[in-house]
Amino acid sequence: MKKHNLLHLAKNSLLFAVIYAGLQSCESPKEVSPVYFNSITAEQSGIDFENTLTPSADLNIIEYLYFYNGAGVAIGDLNNDGLEDLFVTGNQVQDRVYENLGGLKFKDQTAAADINTQNSWSNGVTLADVNNDGLLDIYVSVVGNYKTLKGHNKLFLNQGNFKFKEIAKEVNIAFSGFGTQASFFDYDNDGDLDLYLLNHTVHTPRSYGKAEKRTEKDALSGDLLFENTLETGVLNFIDVTQAAGIYNSPLGYGLGLATADLNKDGFIDIYVGNDFHENDYIYLNNGDKTFREASAKMTSNSSRFTMGLDAADLNNDAQIDVFTLDMMPDQASIRLKSGGEDSDKVAQIKEGFGFQTQYSRNNFQLNNGQGAFQEIALLTETYATDWSWSALIEDFDNDGFSDIFISNGIYRRPNDLDYINYLSNVNFSQYNQDQQDLLEKKLIEEMPQLEIANVLLHNQGDFKFKKYSEAAGLKNNYSNGAAYADLDLDGDMDLVVNNINSPLEILENTQDPSIHNFVGINLVPSAEIKNTSGAKLTLFSGQQIWYKELSATRGYASASSQNIHFGIGKNTTIDSLIISFPIGGTQTIKNISINSYQEISALIDSRIVPTKTYKNNTAAVVDFPFTHQENKYYDYEREPLMLEKLSTEGPCYVYEDFNGDGLKDLFIGGAKYQESAFYTQNEAGSFTAEIKTVISEDALYEDVDAAAIDFDNDGDLDLYVMSGGNDSPEGDIQLVDRLYINDGEGNFTRSEANLPMANGGSISVADFDNDGFSDLFLGFRSVPGAYGISSSSVILRNTQKGNFELLAREDYGMITDSAWGDMNQDGLLDLVLVGDWMPITVLINRDGRNFENQTEALGLSNTQGLWNTVLLQDLNGDNKPEIIAGNAGLNMKIKASVDHPVEIYLEDFDKNEQLDPTIFHTFEGEHIPFASKDMLSKQMPMLKKKFTSYTSFSKVREIGQLYDNPINEIESKYLKELRSMVYVNNGIFQGEPLPIEAQMSSIEDFYLDHQSGDLKLYYVGNYKGFVTELGNSPANTGGILSGFNGNTFIKNNPLPLPPFMEARAIGPLNSNKLLVLFNNDTAKTIDLNHK
Amino acid sequence: MKLIKSLLLCSAMFISLLSCKENNTYKERLKDPQLFHNSMQQLSDVIVYDIFSPPVASRVYMYPTIAAYAIMQKQYPNKYEDMAGQLKDFKTIPEINDPDIHAELAAIHAFLKVGAALIFSENKIMAYRDELYASLEQDGLPSSVKEASLAYGDLVAAHILAWADTDFYKQTRTYPKYTIQEGTAFWKPTPPDYMEGIEPHWNKIRTLVLAKADQFEPAPPYPVDMSKDSPFYQELMEVYELGEKIDGSTEATEIASFWDCNPYVSHHRGHAMFATKKITPGGHWIGITKIAAKQAQSNMDESINAYARVSIALFDGFISCWNTKWNTLIVRPETIINEFIDETWLPLLQTPPFPEYTSGHSVISRASAVALTDIYGDNFSFADTTEEVYGLGVRSYSSFIEASEEAAVSRLYGGIHYRRAIEEGVKQGDAVGKFIVEKLKTLK
Repeated sequence: MKKHNLLHLAKNSLLFAVIYAGLQSCESPKEVSPVYFNSITAEQSGIDFENTLTPSADLNIIEYLYFYNGAGVAIGDLNNDGLEDLFVTGNQVQDRVYENLGGLKFKDQTAAADINTQNSWSNGVTLADVNNDGLLDIYVSVVGNYKTLKGHNKLFLNQGNFKFKEIAKEVNIAFSGFGTQASFFDYDNDGDLDLYLLNHTVHTPRSYGKAEKRTEKDALSGDLLFENTLETGVLNFIDVTQAAGIYNSPLGYGLGLATADLNKDGFIDIYVGNDFHENDYIYLNNGDKTFREASAKMTSNSSRFTMGLDAADLNNDAQIDVFTLDMMPDQASIRLKSGGEDSDKVAQIKEGFGFQTQYSRNNFQLNNGQGAFQEIALLTETYATDWSWSALIEDFDNDGFSDIFISNGIYRRPNDLDYINYLSNVNFSQYNQDQQDLLEKKLIEEMPQLEIANVLLHNQGDFKFKKYSEAAGLKNNYSNGAAYADLDLDGDMDLVVNNINSPLEILENTQDPSIHNFVGINLVPSAEIKNTSGAKLTLFSGQQIWYKELSATRGYASASSQNIHFGIGKNTTIDSLIISFPIGGTQTIKNISINSYQEISALIDSRIVPTKTYKNNTAAVVDFPFTHQENKYYDYEREPLMLEKLSTEGPCYVYEDFNGDGLKDLFIGGAKYQESAFYTQNEAGSFTAEIKTVISEDALYEDVDAAAIDFDNDGDLDLYVMSGGNDSPEGDIQLVDRLYINDGEGNFTRSEANLPMANGGSISVADFDNDGFSDLFLGFRSVPGAYGISSSSVILRNTQKGNFELLAREDYGMITDSAWGDMNQDGLLDLVLVGDWMPITVLINRDGRNFENQTEALGLSNTQGLWNTVLLQDLNGDNKPEIIAGNAGLNMKIKASVDHPVEIYLEDFDKNEQLDPTIFHTFEGEHIPFASKDMLSKQMPMLKKKFTSYTSFSKVREIGQLYDNPINEIESKYLKELRSMVYVNNGIFQGEPLPIEAQMSSIEDFYLDHQSGDLKLYYVGNYKGFVTELGNSPANTGGILSGFNGNTFIKNNPLPLPPFMEARAIGPLNSNKLLVLFNNDTAKTIDLNHK
Repeated sequence: MKLIKSLLLCSAMFISLLSCKENNTYKERLKDPQLFHNSMQQLSDVIVYDIFSPPVASRVYMYPTIAAYAIMQKQYPNKYEDMAGQLKDFKTIPEINDPDIHAELAAIHAFLKVGAALIFSENKIMAYRDELYASLEQDGLPSSVKEASLAYGDLVAAHILAWADTDFYKQTRTYPKYTIQEGTAFWKPTPPDYMEGIEPHWNKIRTLVLAKADQFEPAPPYPVDMSKDSPFYQELMEVYELGEKIDGSTEATEIASFWDCNPYVSHHRGHAMFATKKITPGGHWIGITKIAAKQAQSNMDESINAYARVSIALFDGFISCWNTKWNTLIVRPETIINEFIDETWLPLLQTPPFPEYTSGHSVISRASAVALTDIYGDNFSFADTTEEVYGLGVRSYSSFIEASEEAAVSRLYGGIHYRRAIEEGVKQGDAVGKFIVEKLKTLK
């Protein structure tokens, strides 16, 4: 490895400076970043470039939407001297090419290279060897054919020695329109690079219409796909957009592009990030020169204002993940005065127009290797980095985990809500055209400016990321295009960032090479493999695995190094490197040296196509003939300040023998307006639907829970069904519970008993007074129309005379589930309750009649969560049941802890006889209201008076700043725990979270299999009833946990269930099948014997 | 505005120079109806600034104006009837019991006080008020008179606001939003912002003179039927074809724009998103009331009477119309034309966010015109300068009814209503207006 003295000096003095600073600020030790970037000055680097933007009357942010999107950077070795060179674009200034002279010194070769982009608006740039001559060529995307902007995309063919020839026209790719960026990749595995052109559209006066519009064509804005005919001996590009099934529409606001083999089937796929209402596209390559757009199948949601993105493995499972950027602010006060998510109504309208769900935040699409992405930006806390452009996935500290660099900032913030208000008060009609131009200028000048620091999201492993800016040497700026490469060949990845109205940044990575090791590969073409682009490199060391695909286009409008670099942490030996090539075949290399760049000539040493790692074990899953049909009810139209719907709870089921034939039968509760179903089991273990008229007559009710109970003590099981829903008021007949009395042969009559009429939550049956008769707990979820308020639940003792005695009637909280278990080993069953905004509550049974709330004494008082399910089971063999509880999980936009709880304040603040539940949470260290100013003041117009500007609202940190009510008089509830947990029963309870995979969505039900000796905890989940501002949580339909270590389970395996479906219940169905019930979808059985 | 103000100031100074020791100029000024017109203009400006929807704006105009009228009635009991007993739940205000009270000042004070309570940007009203009182004090307003008048104005404002508090406005803030109904016939939110339907429960608001919201139900709309010979299809095609025909310069375009009166027109320009604000339809008729009152040289109490009668007609007119709208839930032309006829068709005016039938502008313009005709007569030619400030020029009419008819048909030209919603809307407004003229006694 070459060492550069100058560099060394700089590094040392830097180290010194850090220590010095550390000494000075003893009180608050400065955050130390694992990565520090040293900004190289123009004098040092010899690069004097700035993307200077000068708005004019014709061209400014009001006349051209993307005026401040900035320009790109491409890094690659243009003269094959081993040092990576630099090409930067300028929107209004000349593009420049710089030769890397080593030692972070560069020479401007623009004039010599004959690169002329005067009078054109350059956006993206990428590097690719389009003619397989071993030299990287340059392709620049421009905006042309719009207002004063002329020009076309340019292909600078590399003639060697920094001589280039522009030949875009000659080879048919001189596109002139709204060019953003391009990617060259081999779409047909024929050994030459084809071209995807990413273009963007501009707004029309009608904002958006139907999504079908994406099938229309647009010559200026539509994306294009070109096939390279080099394999025939002629470098030429043929437009194959239509034949390949690529959208070429005016709907695509393409800003982000990556080409990678997303499903590892050997064909390179395309991820297109679209801004605004249009969804991102995932084009899966069919292998026959066509693509299928699969975003709806593969993702639950995408970023709404998708800008830059990168596609690379983020969790070392050798699958390509995708990280897309959006613009959610990460400073509380900016968030409170910027536009947030769509309203629930607009989200619903867009869905009606055919758009997929989008959220205005970064999206972390974790590839599950089974054909779908789990979106976990909220869990990884990577979701908000403000107005972000380039995402670059690389291991910047060589610790073996890929980090994410993000460039940030918008020169003018048009989404500042106070500015929008200000703009709305300007009376344009009073001005003539000349004055309007002046006015426009003034308006732009008054558009808020705010420099935002670039960000390094450091991957700490196990899906934990930590955000660094200043500590990593990253500065406030307006940064756009960015690219990585090891510019000084010292083993760590440096960065080049293109900024608006400030100099291009060369950021030298100052890793101490003694801490971590790396593997560097320079894959060079050969007669056999003429182009190495698209090669897949998998590196093995013991149990560890690293995976990369060689692809240039990443980030925003930029292209990064085509040298492959793996950080390998403390590892010192590499078992092997396997390279596979798009044209087929692999190359295996055993002797890989570390901590230097190794030149490898691409060769095929095996024709065996590697077995597809793309798993598909869904064969074990088959439909069960019950489809739950949720009725359409939009709770938020009545209660806009609520967090989640309380009207989509079912289905529930009961699996018991009702007809006395010794085989268990199955009852499945229907949603409102849907008949519940009843199935009798036959000897063969199959199920036959049977119409029970008395039950099907009650389709009006939404069944939320059910239980079998011998109510009348006649030796057979009767059926108690709890009704629920949030659309009828408490006391309404539509909420009445039903009791169906069994005649012993499975014939039911509905009991005339007076039963509760409320939004049901949970029923639990047990003989808690040991008299041989079944007693009851009935728990209720909510008071309809008043989110946050709970109703009283009841404990009922069976009097042995066909009726029940009320032992307790108390408001324990918003009950979702309950279970009986002898928690204190005194021979009496105790009651454990879970629900929303309440702790795991334990009622200790004193004498079969009196119950004592021992939650606090048992160490559970700080467990307030959004609990969905509870299971009591002894896991450690001490006969004392543990509490296993399913919560909302960590993939949530609100974060809760004991130190920083989420609060809900429950009061009719404007005294209009309607509850105004107001939620506060801690966001990036600031305690802020969850609902926006607009949302709150829609419900309480008085707040419009109190806060006449968004700026004033953005300062709200406490409930007292919103309302005049004395704080101690306001009822409040908390969330302090959102993780799904195991609480081990040691007399008091000791909580440990379930593994991180099990926190990726809500857990709605458990099933513990303890027969095989090894404890297996099955869980199912996903929940899509959250309001749009909070967002759905459908990243994990279910899994199997094992490896109980005395505290919790440590191993997770996915259940082969379809992605994104809302599972509500799981349980055994005869010996080797599990039944899984879904809200608003078809039930499934899982065959446990299937291999 | 500025010009008028400085002129006023100038003439005030001139008068003050002439007067001798005891400065009684304030008395002259407080007689000038322009003072009330200015105050009403101030309220209008804040309504525009704060963006109130048309029905809510009618409420913001009405209560302050009733406060002013009630005080004038106490001051001139022989000239005016008490509205107590005539407006629902309205009890007579406290008597004027202090000789220092200057009724006109108290009326303006109560007007601004009630107005400030109903709008959001209070500081704008306060700034106007403080400037006004300071200038009156310069013109000799004794502090005893000021204090007594303001105290009385405050008392009356509290009385009016207590009454307003029981009109169900507060409760309706949290009533369920409109759930989008499936099916072609039903209203759906419209581009570009797909805004939430405005005030689906406005029919729950307490009427003033009308016995109930549905007292004057129009004939039902044509059923939405896309077969070519259905009356609905005919009128749909009329909107579509008119829209195709009308280009930038016709009189129809001018009429449509002149009466647009959309308080919130959303724009997406480049990366900037913003709205243009304008007065509401009700605000336009408040403006016409000012023009009429000035032209007829009404004094202050007569002007207030005119405003009161018009604002009551507006208020009940909106309740009547909104009741029809949210019961019929008829789809807007833009939605159905885009779906079935022409995906790219845009109406000349931005479609407002509520159901089509009946046309609100038709109902309330007619109701207001009937109210004004009752006061100033049928043959009342006037130049309508209300929209000048929005760059929309001046249009002239020979009667209020003529103006109201043009306002009504403007919605057809604007591409936001079918003809039947206009014709039936005019009838509905006529019935509301005439009922109020008949029932409500003010000037004796």
